[in-house]
Amino acid sequence: MKGAAALLGALRERGVDTVFGYPGGAIMPVYDALLGSGIRHVLVRHEQAAAFAADGYARVSGRPGVCIATSGPGATNLITGIANAYLDSVPLIAITGQVATPLMGTDAFQEVDIFGMTLPIVKHSYIVRHIEDIPRIVHEAWNIASSGRPGPVLIDLPKNIAAGEAHGVTRLVEPQPPDRQPDAIWLSRAAALIAAAERPVIYAGGGIGIGRAVAAFREFVAATGIPVVSTLKGLGAVPTDEPLFLGMMGMHGTRASNCAVQESDLLIVVGARFDDRATGKLDGFAPHARVIHLDVDPAEIGKLRRADVALAGNLAASLAALHVRPDIRPWRDHCLELKRLHAWRYDAPGDGIYAPELLRRLSVAADGDLTLTCDVGQHQMWVAQHCLIRSPERHLTSGGLGAMGYGLPAAIGAHFADPTRPAVSVSGDGSIMINIQELATLRRYGLPIKILLIDNQSLGMVRQWQELFFERRFSEVDLSDNPDFAEVARSFGVDALTIDARGQIDEAVDALLHHPGALLVHCRIDPAANVWPLVPPGHTNATMLEGAMR
Amino acid sequence: MKRTIELRLARAEGAIVRTIGLIERRGFAVMAIDTRSDASSETLVLRLEVASQGRPYDVLIRQILKLFDVRAVQLIESQPADARAAC
Repeated sequence: MKGAAALLGALRERGVDTVFGYPGGAIMPVYDALLGSGIRHVLVRHEQAAAFAADGYARVSGRPGVCIATSGPGATNLITGIANAYLDSVPLIAITGQVATPLMGTDAFQEVDIFGMTLPIVKHSYIVRHIEDIPRIVHEAWNIASSGRPGPVLIDLPKNIAAGEAHGVTRLVEPQPPDRQPDAIWLSRAAALIAAAERPVIYAGGGIGIGRAVAAFREFVAATGIPVVSTLKGLGAVPTDEPLFLGMMGMHGTRASNCAVQESDLLIVVGARFDDRATGKLDGFAPHARVIHLDVDPAEIGKLRRADVALAGNLAASLAALHVRPDIRPWRDHCLELKRLHAWRYDAPGDGIYAPELLRRLSVAADGDLTLTCDVGQHQMWVAQHCLIRSPERHLTSGGLGAMGYGLPAAIGAHFADPTRPAVSVSGDGSIMINIQELATLRRYGLPIKILLIDNQSLGMVRQWQELFFERRFSEVDLSDNPDFAEVARSFGVDALTIDARGQIDEAVDALLHHPGALLVHCRIDPAANVWPLVPPGHTNATMLEGAMR
Repeated sequence: MKRTIELRLARAEGAIVRTIGLIERRGFAVMAIDTRSDASSETLVLRLEVASQGRPYDVLIRQILKLFDVRAVQLIESQPADARAAC
């Protein structure tokens, strides 16, 4: 058996039936072996999209996504996607071709040290030096990518290793040990803190979804009756229309959630890492609160905020042991009153489209039964603020890296992971251009993915910051020379329509939910629209700027 | 504050670079390195002198322990920078 066949055989043993990639010279033996392998290869049009699609596949399926690229530029084009998976803790196997081992280190054609380049953004990585090691490395990589706190693993495969004949295999790996279980003494201390708290808040992070602990988390919320806030990646840990949910916290968080956290006397942090976008100025974050920190990754505990009780290990097991209901009715009523007082409003003046209203109506019309993928910028925050999100795997967003161009390829990956659930990619006129070539992938595979392109003719979030914090000195944010996006879509064979009036929202929502194939809805909005509220940089979450709806 | 960290690593490609890179990336300065193999030659023993401007060593140790090739990590001694300067 050749090395490439051994690679694909090991992937098949792990249940892999779909990979995303783009061929080239050094990876040709693998592409040759793909023919007749039983593994479906999805040809994207840029390697970055392969990594993002594998990321989307992983987030929806809960299993590692696999992407493949050739050496040199193919490998370097994967890097942004690998970094995205690393920062968002997504299980990913990135397979890169490499020049033949005798040529490695000679600056050969399309040779780069992708192993060295990716060291800071992978959970682990390998250069395959012996054909016989391939099955062991694939199984080991799978275990590493998917265990504990998930993340990306790189396998760099020299061409002569992929093309060579294997003579036996090295020993296979031991099964990965299960997550550690929480410590009973610390659990009892956590329970005591919860019982004694007067103003507790649950701070939900992306680790709940990634750790497949959503059911345990919801039981915990129901048992304790404690108000919940979430990070961007924690959205959906409880449905966003759950009465106890106060909204996203942080820079673009709701007033209710930020106020509740600032006033709290106990934060129960579940699968979150005190990211700066969530905490604002750290030394003024939740200044009166003690902290119970639950995380599968012990290295996150105490990294940025000292924990009074540290519960490292399996989230579901910890949460199941903390069903303590504190007597907090006045506090709960106060939080719910904050939520009522500061509920979103959609009565923007004028006849133009108010993007938050469109997003709200779309997700409500679908009853949250959508996979929403986002790019990065103002539209990403509007999705987080206004969409009905019923579970974390239905909201795919580039949280840690903030990578524009993520949304469309992530939707492609999401579709292959679960073709039964409609996928809508919400993008901006800046972001869509980063991976717009993937419209060709929609066409090639007949994918019924919808794109809602919110066009403000600018890099809106940067423009907003220049307006607010750089004395309106607008620098390189004007995109008024955009192409006609509807025509661009049609040229790829994707249907399109353009809207710019509030009266067209119903038509757009209906099309996004019921159009039989791929569709791009190009939605023009007021170029001066901003995202509110906004915690200015360097301030605590108690400082929230508000502005006019447009 | 400077501290000495002793690590035991699997002898694997990139293990040393990966570990030192992590330490530096997390905001610590590697001031000195001493490396040897153990008797089996399958494990590398690294003794690193590391300096920090206030970042917690216990968090760094947990971050190092997550690396796949790391078998053990030990904080050896406490050596405040001003104590050394006084010598």
